[in-house]
Amino acid sequence: MSSFIYFLRESLRGFTRNLSTTLGSIVTIFLSLLIIGIFLIGGIIVDNVMSGVENEVSITAFISDDAAEEDVASLQSYLESIPDVKTVTFVTKEQALENFRSTSNSDIIDTLDGQNPLPASFEIELSDPQLVTDVANNIAGNELFKKICDDPENPPESLKYGQQTVERLFTLVNYIRYIGIALIALLIFIALVFINNTIRLAILARRKEIAIMRLVGASNNFIRGPFLMEGALHALIGAALAIGVLEALHMFVLPVLQQQLLFLNFNIGAATFVYIYLILTGSGLVIGLIGSALAMRRYLKV
Amino acid sequence: MTNDFSQGAGVRPGRHSAHGRNDAAQSASQLSASLPALDVDDIPQNIGMPVITFDHVSKFYPAQPNKAALNDISLQIYAGEFVFLVGHSGSGKTTFIRMLIREIQPSSGHLYVADEDLSTMRNWRVPYLRRNIGCVFQDFKLLPNKTVFENVAFALEVIGKSRHVIRTQVPEVLRLVGLQDKLNKRPDQLSGGEQQRVSIARAIVNRPPLLICDEPTGNLDPQTSRGIMDLLERINRTGTTVVVATHDREMVDNMRRRVIALDRGSLTRDQDRGVYGFDV
Repeated sequence: MSSFIYFLRESLRGFTRNLSTTLGSIVTIFLSLLIIGIFLIGGIIVDNVMSGVENEVSITAFISDDAAEEDVASLQSYLESIPDVKTVTFVTKEQALENFRSTSNSDIIDTLDGQNPLPASFEIELSDPQLVTDVANNIAGNELFKKICDDPENPPESLKYGQQTVERLFTLVNYIRYIGIALIALLIFIALVFINNTIRLAILARRKEIAIMRLVGASNNFIRGPFLMEGALHALIGAALAIGVLEALHMFVLPVLQQQLLFLNFNIGAATFVYIYLILTGSGLVIGLIGSALAMRRYLKV
Repeated sequence: MTNDFSQGAGVRPGRHSAHGRNDAAQSASQLSASLPALDVDDIPQNIGMPVITFDHVSKFYPAQPNKAALNDISLQIYAGEFVFLVGHSGSGKTTFIRMLIREIQPSSGHLYVADEDLSTMRNWRVPYLRRNIGCVFQDFKLLPNKTVFENVAFALEVIGKSRHVIRTQVPEVLRLVGLQDKLNKRPDQLSGGEQQRVSIARAIVNRPPLLICDEPTGNLDPQTSRGIMDLLERINRTGTTVVVATHDREMVDNMRRRVIALDRGSLTRDQDRGVYGFDV
């Protein structure tokens, strides 16, 4: 315990003793973590946008006009029992016409003379839109659906989900995701290399000090203690600064952006921000401690 | 723990104070006289036993694989001895000393300090060895970012002494070497001689049973040198084994202690009550 107090006192004194290297490593850690944080938030926004696009994807299953009511009901419960299906909504002929009326030119409806050529349908939303083809095939193979679908000759024709468009969209979305993850990983790597190098230089500048401590009989743990604690304090201060700036962005910049770009989703939950801050603090601490320990290792062998 | 240094002042009145030396040397020697006899428990139990044993020790540096820095040295230094290690520059004195604190290891042969074989000693045991050896380095090896006080205190901090002990012992030992006014100076604000005395203070502050000095008077004027030598003799009288590597002919000739002479890595002379012996 007494040596813990000694470590803490020494590491605090280290701030004034080596002011320029201390500031240097704090600023490096701060900027590196800030860049990582900005890209994490940016990545989450891009992912939100991508999910928004994906959620537009749903399956419409058209039902024949003369299907029995109980068949429709049991088909609905079957659809709801498919694991990847999120919601199933039944759209009656009347509702379909109403929808059509609100989105299209009413002149066309007038020409129908009160007839309703639109079929009833199920709107099926999926929990994972990427599985749309699998679910569609599953429905198309269902006997009950084959019986009551709008076009019994060719059941898959009664299922609409924009097959080719959806596939292209998903390929694009996935590429954007992979590139985003690769970019973030690359940035994190670069930031960690920066932090590590700064720490190595700070320790290199004090290698004589370490050797002298060894020569007057200090054990390795006793030498390491203040250095590690100093590294941890630098990381914590750098992380606090980065979190401060990110929080300012969150509070003041994101709402403005959201107002300008209404069609994008900038809504990120408070919990996500807490996660990001924890990740930044944690990775700062880990790299600070491991970097210091590794950089010191070779000087502790005297 | 009581304050050993001041406690001893009353026991042994300054015997050197009668000599008419200049002020600096006088204060140093007066203060050295205040160094007490150690408590009985502190005297090494194996007095008269070998503390240091060189058994056919040779050392080759990688840079000069054909020229031995030390060549087949065999000797013993006993507890309580005061030994001068003399020789020209490059004769192997510093290699000899660096081996004793296991900064380097012998290329062949065995070296024992207090019955421990340094060539087989595990790395984690080394700090414990060094805590029992006070070492005054030729290049001082002071911590540049710490004050004089903190440098001396460090030797006590590494052995886990309390703040209280540190606050009382460090000023005492700094007064002993005449640096009581420089507590808060950093090493780069001191002269060479003052840095040397800080190095000596750090070596003796935890009262090690073995004290090794590499040119402890190399940067000091004759008066201060004599003060330091008195101090070392005083420390030796408390039972501490003292090994001094030096060029100081006058000192060696005056003190007539055991002299070990090295010449180009070989042991050329080992005599009790010896003289410096080399032509300058």
